[in-house]
Amino acid sequence: MKVLSEIELDALTEVFNVGAGRAALSLSEIVGEEVLLSVPSIEILKAAEVTNRVFTLKDDKFATVSQMFTGPFTAEAVLLFNEDYALEIVRDMMGSQMSIDDLAEFEQEAMCELGNIILNACLSAMADMLKISLSSSLPTYSMSSPEEIAARLAEQGRDDNYILILHIDLVLEKHHTEGHLIFLLSSTSLSKLIAHIQQYLNTIL
Amino acid sequence: MSSPVPLGFSADDVVNSVNLGLVVVDHDLNIRLWNDWMSRHSRIDREQALEQNIIALFGEQLTPGFLRALNNAIGYGLPAILSSAFHRSPLPLFVEQDRSEAPVRMHQSIIMTPLRSDVGLPTCLIQVSDSSTSVKREKMLMSHSDALKREAITDGLTGIYNRRFFDESYALALRDAKRNRSSLSLFMIDIDYFKQYNDHYGHSEGDRTLKLVANILRAQMRRPNDVCARYGGEEFIMLIPGFTEAQAEKFAERLRASVSDLGIPHEKSQSGTHMTISVGVCTMTPDIGNDGTALLDSADDALYRAKKQGRNQVISGV
Repeated sequence: MKVLSEIELDALTEVFNVGAGRAALSLSEIVGEEVLLSVPSIEILKAAEVTNRVFTLKDDKFATVSQMFTGPFTAEAVLLFNEDYALEIVRDMMGSQMSIDDLAEFEQEAMCELGNIILNACLSAMADMLKISLSSSLPTYSMSSPEEIAARLAEQGRDDNYILILHIDLVLEKHHTEGHLIFLLSSTSLSKLIAHIQQYLNTIL
Repeated sequence: MSSPVPLGFSADDVVNSVNLGLVVVDHDLNIRLWNDWMSRHSRIDREQALEQNIIALFGEQLTPGFLRALNNAIGYGLPAILSSAFHRSPLPLFVEQDRSEAPVRMHQSIIMTPLRSDVGLPTCLIQVSDSSTSVKREKMLMSHSDALKREAITDGLTGIYNRRFFDESYALALRDAKRNRSSLSLFMIDIDYFKQYNDHYGHSEGDRTLKLVANILRAQMRRPNDVCARYGGEEFIMLIPGFTEAQAEKFAERLRASVSDLGIPHEKSQSGTHMTISVGVCTMTPDIGNDGTALLDSADDALYRAKKQGRNQVISGV
């Protein structure tokens, strides 16, 4: 089933790429070198349809940062990065040598901030372009396996829930990382999001 | 506070007693709350701070990261975190005891939470915590854990890696090889007639020889991902990614020659007059279901055949 038309999907991708650009700028400020961030593609699935396929099985563990946000629509935003790559990035940014098991509290805090920067940039771009206002909880960080994430989604995956998946490309000097940003939202929230995208399209077309 | 039950104490006292910096700024970025902790660590009194614009108060000392976070909180209602790892010291705050002319800046973690003012205007609560001690503790733990880790993965006698390290490296190398669809070569190495050597020359001489052999084997490695470890008594194991079968065989031959070239006299050896080794080698490109057992077994089997066929030689497994 096609939930969004091509043009709506394009508009949404554009919104998130504006967000990605803002996030890249903020990350560059911290690292002191160019950071490239883009959202090459977006998918919308029913929560019940989400399987491991979506998150490429080769990944053992994900570093996840989530924020709950509310506004004209309500959603849980979860940012997923392959844990090894995410740690490489955080370590690059701070110059630490710890192993994953010893992931120290301040690395977790750093990971939380990395997620917070990307999520806030996407949410602020959405707020600006769709002319809405959003509020959000503080980010929380956790380490999860693909199975745990799928289980967590399935738990909330009642028939009427949808999942919006953004595939993210992050390039930081030495490393190229792929991640996913997931928005978990009810069908009511999704229809409201679509309505706002249509309004946005009406203003630019 | 609009609490239905009277507090019985002053909320101001709580704000001023908490071991945390608390600042509230309004939508014009004017400071509306400045607790005692902030006064002590910024050396700016509440009277000076209140009603001042936070940007004017701190001037150029505010970082772009701090301003971006503040803008997200006030402009968009989005909470933000500034971790001490990325920002170290976003605000000019100092360790309280440091009364010198150029005091040390405190490492900080900052959380900004959007609030709504009574009249519905966006406002922001800024919480500042001192992470100096946790940063210090982390550094100490890190150096301890590095030292412990080194000990835990090193063989006490020879100074090369131990079996435990090999097992961990093997699992990682296997994963990388699967991911990159690249090859992995395993070398099982056994010192020939080592028991006879020990019986004849004594244990301390045996230990010395083990060290010599371990070091010459380690010296043959060229790349950072190569692993050489003591696997058991007189057994060693090497793991090298990216070799073809022919390259691996050639390398195994080089290992054999390197030990033979040491020319350690061994009167009780039945394969020559000096110390030699037998090597079993196997090269594989592991597929998804491969848990590494097949490669280990086949290198072990090759070593067994090398020993059976007269030692001091290299045998390739399939």
